[in-house]
Amino acid sequence: MDDYIEKLPGFVDTIKSIEETIITNIVLIGQIPAPTFKEKRRTSVFMERLAEFQVDECTTDGYRNPIGIIKGTSESKPPIFVVAHLDTIFGKDIDHYYSIQEKSITGTGIMDNSVGVGVLVSLPEIFRKLGLRFESDIVLAGVIQSLGRGNLRGIRHLLKTWATPIRGAVCIEGAELGRLNYYADGMIRCEVDCNISPVNGWEHKFKPNAILVLNEVINQIMKLRLPQKPRSRVIIGKTSGGFKHGMIAYDATLGFEIQSNSDKMVKSIFNSIKDIVEGTSHEYEVDLRLKTLSNIHAARLKFNHPLVKSSVAVMKKLNLTPVSGPSESELSIFLSRKIPAVTLGITRGENYHQQNASVEIEPISKGIAQIIGVIMAIDSGVCDEHQLD
Amino acid sequence: MNISWIKKNTFHYSEFSDLTQLVDEKQRKNLKISLCLPTLNEEKTIAKEILIMKSELMTRYPILDEIVVVDSGSTDNTRKIARGYGADVYKATEILPDLAKFKGKGENLWKALFVTQGDIIVYLDADIKNIHHRFAYGLLGPLILFDNIKYVKAFYDRPIAIGKSKIRPTGGGRVTELVIRPLFSLYFPELTQILQPLSGEYAGHREIFEKIPFPIGYGVETSMILDIYEKWGLDVFAQVDLDRRIHRNQDTRALGRMSFAILQTFIKRKIKLGLVDYKEKLYNEMIQYNLIKNEFKPDIYEIEGHERPPIIEIPEYREKFNRIS
Repeated sequence: MDDYIEKLPGFVDTIKSIEETIITNIVLIGQIPAPTFKEKRRTSVFMERLAEFQVDECTTDGYRNPIGIIKGTSESKPPIFVVAHLDTIFGKDIDHYYSIQEKSITGTGIMDNSVGVGVLVSLPEIFRKLGLRFESDIVLAGVIQSLGRGNLRGIRHLLKTWATPIRGAVCIEGAELGRLNYYADGMIRCEVDCNISPVNGWEHKFKPNAILVLNEVINQIMKLRLPQKPRSRVIIGKTSGGFKHGMIAYDATLGFEIQSNSDKMVKSIFNSIKDIVEGTSHEYEVDLRLKTLSNIHAARLKFNHPLVKSSVAVMKKLNLTPVSGPSESELSIFLSRKIPAVTLGITRGENYHQQNASVEIEPISKGIAQIIGVIMAIDSGVCDEHQLD
Repeated sequence: MNISWIKKNTFHYSEFSDLTQLVDEKQRKNLKISLCLPTLNEEKTIAKEILIMKSELMTRYPILDEIVVVDSGSTDNTRKIARGYGADVYKATEILPDLAKFKGKGENLWKALFVTQGDIIVYLDADIKNIHHRFAYGLLGPLILFDNIKYVKAFYDRPIAIGKSKIRPTGGGRVTELVIRPLFSLYFPELTQILQPLSGEYAGHREIFEKIPFPIGYGVETSMILDIYEKWGLDVFAQVDLDRRIHRNQDTRALGRMSFAILQTFIKRKIKLGLVDYKEKLYNEMIQYNLIKNEFKPDIYEIEGHERPPIIEIPEYREKFNRIS
């Protein structure tokens, strides 16, 4: 194992020598808008670029997740998955054209997740440049429909329909370099819609305001007493509604997530919020509906799992300080299917989810070396004998 | 009017996407190819153009032999960034410094002929937001593969970037449709087959470029077409659909000045070719008006219409490239 660890610092310089090609991939793919459910064009460019770099197989699965496969030397070893989500939170009419400066790249979605996707597509060329062959097949998957209402459908489908066992997985995110996610919280993502009929009825003396009704829902959620153990929280993340400043709002929507490292607690908080919504609906005599958009189970690797320990060793060798937190992304789907996996970031940046998001170019090579180190760890067998709890 | 040209000499860039074939053919013909990017304050887009071209058409497929930036005196970081990303960078005033100094895109293109080495030169504007290597290989395809083609123009479906972050799906080409197309229809109907004569992206053989004059400013694209057409005929032209090009939108006043320069160039060419006998003086000022404190004030923009001679007439060039005038 120590063999490959020692090589990692040297990898950084070799990867830097093809930095132009890596950035080209980041830009050419990232500039194609890909809002969740509308990833078709980006999928095509992803496939074109993968084919350009001569992977052994290039195809889409039944759900249109684009996949490239680099054949391994062993017939018997299960494949290693490397994935990055293709979709973004930005609409297709938003300017996605990037600007490259001396030390940075700026533009819509660059951090989440153009850098991740561009690096994923560049891996065949990087492996070639480093002279790397693996025992396992390497499956490079750009997964669609991950974010928001996408509810990780792409990765769910890919893993559900993959016929053979999977040895381990690395999920790539553009930022931040140094992140090491190996556990996923249980999560329910919900929306509450409040609709008030614009027609006057006998039950309302004064027309209720949809925004104020949702405000009452928020107030009641805020009053819930959440335990510190199991660690739990409710994040109020989105609101929308109303027509104009001087008119009562007939429609409003509230988006939130319940997160906890206990599935039981997630369910319990969900039931409490359901009661709040039903009670408010009854008392205000308005149409208030609670919808579940996404549901993820809590799952984790232990810190002493060899994949986590190897990842920490890889990062330390590259002078990176691992920072861990829960991740409700592709990682959670791998872990819930008992497949050892980690999520790693490629570089540093700012304005994460804004149109002027920006990433530093210089750390990218180190971020990639780290990904390769973890792939090599999985290929050396660190995931082979340890089942998840 | 012979309209067979448009069928025969119009291509789509995807017809040339087999880059290995282009590399093989380039090597078989022992061609050198230069990419020239004329710049003036393009720090936002220049790095991306250089980086993508270098990665795809130099490192991965050795089609380009050099990337040269000729700058009109940018006051931002254009030259520093371009140099940092590996282009050969020149200030236009430092090339052939003994000649009178002019400032304009045409000047940069003309001077690029002196500093580049290529048998074929590709000119791309440096403000293309959606730059892709097809912009270069699409233009080079016909020049590398077909011996009769000597000059290739780009055409596009051209959306315009509006505001900071929105894109409108149609538009662009207003000067083409309102100025150039009517002029070509009146005087050179054959040339109307060139769909976007003002596109800033074109490529050609040095043997063509060195023998034609270059207006300093906006008129360079128009004059290039008229001169090549007059000397070698339409059959040496090809045009390639490069799909989409996202560019900065220019306001109507700027387009007015552009139209002035184009008309100026066009009329001068007509006089030079003896096609019209113009009795009256042509003025060189574009006059536009501003309403300032309830008063209309003229905004006068002088467009001299200077022109560089065919560079083959310059002794330093002849000496450097071993040419006889």
